[in-house]
Amino acid sequence: MKAPGWAWPRTLRSRLFLILLTGLVVAHGLSFAVLFSERYMSARQVMLGTLETDVATSIAILDRLPAAERPQWLPRVNRGNYQYILGTGLPGVPEMTARGRDIAERITEASGGRFPVRVESIPGDGKRVQAHLTLSDGSPLTIDVHPRMTPIAQWLPYVLILQLLLLILCCWFAVRLAIRPLVALGDAADALDPNTQSAPLDESGPTELARAARAFNAMRGRIARFVEERVQILAAISHDLQTPITRMKLRAEMADDSDEKRKMLNDLSEIQTLVQEGLAYARSAHGDGEKASRVDLGSFVESLAYDYQDTGKDVTVLQNAGGAIVTRPHALRRVLTNLIDNAIKFGGSAELRVRRDRDVVAIEVLDRGTGIPDDQLEAVLKPFVRLEQSRSRETGGTGLGLAIAHELTTAIGGTLTLRNRDGGGLAAEVRLG
Amino acid sequence: MDAHVDHILIVDDDREIRELVSTYLTKNGLRVTVAPDGRHMRTFLEANTVDLIVLDVMLPGDDGLVLCRELRAGKHRATPVLMLTARDDETDRIIGLEMGADDYLAKPFAARELLARIKAVLRRTRMLPPNLQITEAGQILAFGSWQLDTTARHLIDAEGTIVALSGAEYRLLRVFVDHPQRVLNRDQLLNLTQGREAEMFERSIDLLVSRLRQRLNDDAREPSYIKTVRSEGYVFAAPVEIREARQ
Repeated sequence: MKAPGWAWPRTLRSRLFLILLTGLVVAHGLSFAVLFSERYMSARQVMLGTLETDVATSIAILDRLPAAERPQWLPRVNRGNYQYILGTGLPGVPEMTARGRDIAERITEASGGRFPVRVESIPGDGKRVQAHLTLSDGSPLTIDVHPRMTPIAQWLPYVLILQLLLLILCCWFAVRLAIRPLVALGDAADALDPNTQSAPLDESGPTELARAARAFNAMRGRIARFVEERVQILAAISHDLQTPITRMKLRAEMADDSDEKRKMLNDLSEIQTLVQEGLAYARSAHGDGEKASRVDLGSFVESLAYDYQDTGKDVTVLQNAGGAIVTRPHALRRVLTNLIDNAIKFGGSAELRVRRDRDVVAIEVLDRGTGIPDDQLEAVLKPFVRLEQSRSRETGGTGLGLAIAHELTTAIGGTLTLRNRDGGGLAAEVRLG
Repeated sequence: MDAHVDHILIVDDDREIRELVSTYLTKNGLRVTVAPDGRHMRTFLEANTVDLIVLDVMLPGDDGLVLCRELRAGKHRATPVLMLTARDDETDRIIGLEMGADDYLAKPFAARELLARIKAVLRRTRMLPPNLQITEAGQILAFGSWQLDTTARHLIDAEGTIVALSGAEYRLLRVFVDHPQRVLNRDQLLNLTQGREAEMFERSIDLLVSRLRQRLNDDAREPSYIKTVRSEGYVFAAPVEIREARQ
């Protein structure tokens, strides 16, 4: 569709602006042109009409006047378009334009045949023509005709430019008015977060916009309900599963020690983990209503590492930034434990590094495991996504740990990114602030 | 040598769970009575005393949290309570502890784990001299320039900033603030601060004390909170007051 070398602008704003402006400028130009040509034609009519009667009168007057008085009268008979010259005038050629011929005819007619007229055009001087005739006393008279329009008024270009500016301004304003709610709608959709009760879109304004805003707010409500429902369903399922799983676990434990018993207990723990993680994931998107508080960063990270060390896990703090941050401590703790558990599962140990750059805090969980293929780094943050080879069910895990961490990080206003480390292993970075 | 058999009351609405748990605990040398709900529990406790109550949170009629609060207000206030919560969730744990439970266990649990937890709670309540102050009633305990939030299990400094504690650090500090001005030996402290995985891994009390002093900004050479008593143990020197009672 696109013509080569002619780029249709990308934004609706530019397109609308372009269409409106082009249309208005062309329409404006057309009406101006029509007006101008109409004026031109009528002016020409008037000029030729006056030429005929004027010239007849003027020639008659000059003819009657004594030769000595003629120069005095010249200014009175001269007109803007033509002057009388007492003399032979300039040499010319007989060829002339249609307009020249028209003028020549009129002058010939005006002279009423009493004075033979010879009309010549002056080459190289536009449409200038000169009519040569001889008065009754034998002296030559030349009518020098400059067929031109009365010059357009000095102020006209300024008015035109002013009008053009007015058009641009109006177009820009109209486009802005039309686009702004669209941008606001886009922003609102971008900021849509069922966890937080952000203010609804303003439903005032022109009818169409109010309708769109109402529809958007209603959609927002529906999404919030869906999320709520999802949490409730998962909570109900997971809750109702607790009792049968507990029974089965207890029953299995009562049985005599055997391979079967061990396998059954393993399966049951797997089911249990899945149920719990599923619920945790559903909640993570929903937010747990925890309030943000000022937390001392150093002790937060250190106590977390100690909790792991006290259960015999290799978790060390490489670098710890001091100071306090305002965050939701339980959520952040859950994020970090999920990342550390992951690191331990695939790398055997985890290292923590906390850096601070003014208000931004970056907490890194590092391992020396196999890492994740670069093209999968984002996918593993989605629920139930596991890597085919190393991170399969065999290694345990529900495929929800990272998803929960991701959702919770977003819920506390942070970002979680994964990257592969130089020399192998994974680095998970939580940025807050 | 001890003829006393610990008597455990199990309150759970699921018949099969009651029976299975009861069988397991009896097999492991405990005396067990079961009750399906709060009504039966009350009737039984009117005429009997038990050593520990295992209380499910989700019960028909009055739920476990209500019953726990009731126990804490009545003549059985000294009987330890172990809560069975529906899931391993921070809020449930916090509410359970807030209501005065001594410990909690998330469903689904392993019978082995329940037994270990029952024994730990019993040991803990017997090990210690009675609390000089009933800090269980306090949500926020204050000493020196610090406040200890016993439900969220963290310290709050004078500016209101949360200073986190590891599980072991919290348990040790809690033992100290429960027994201010009383010398506690290392054995007592070790037993009381053991967490779930304590069998697996033990941190020496001295290391824990030094970490705790660091958290409290306590100078090890001249500590103002946790003082060393040569060849005996440690003593928590600061007076402790209840800043905010539980509802």
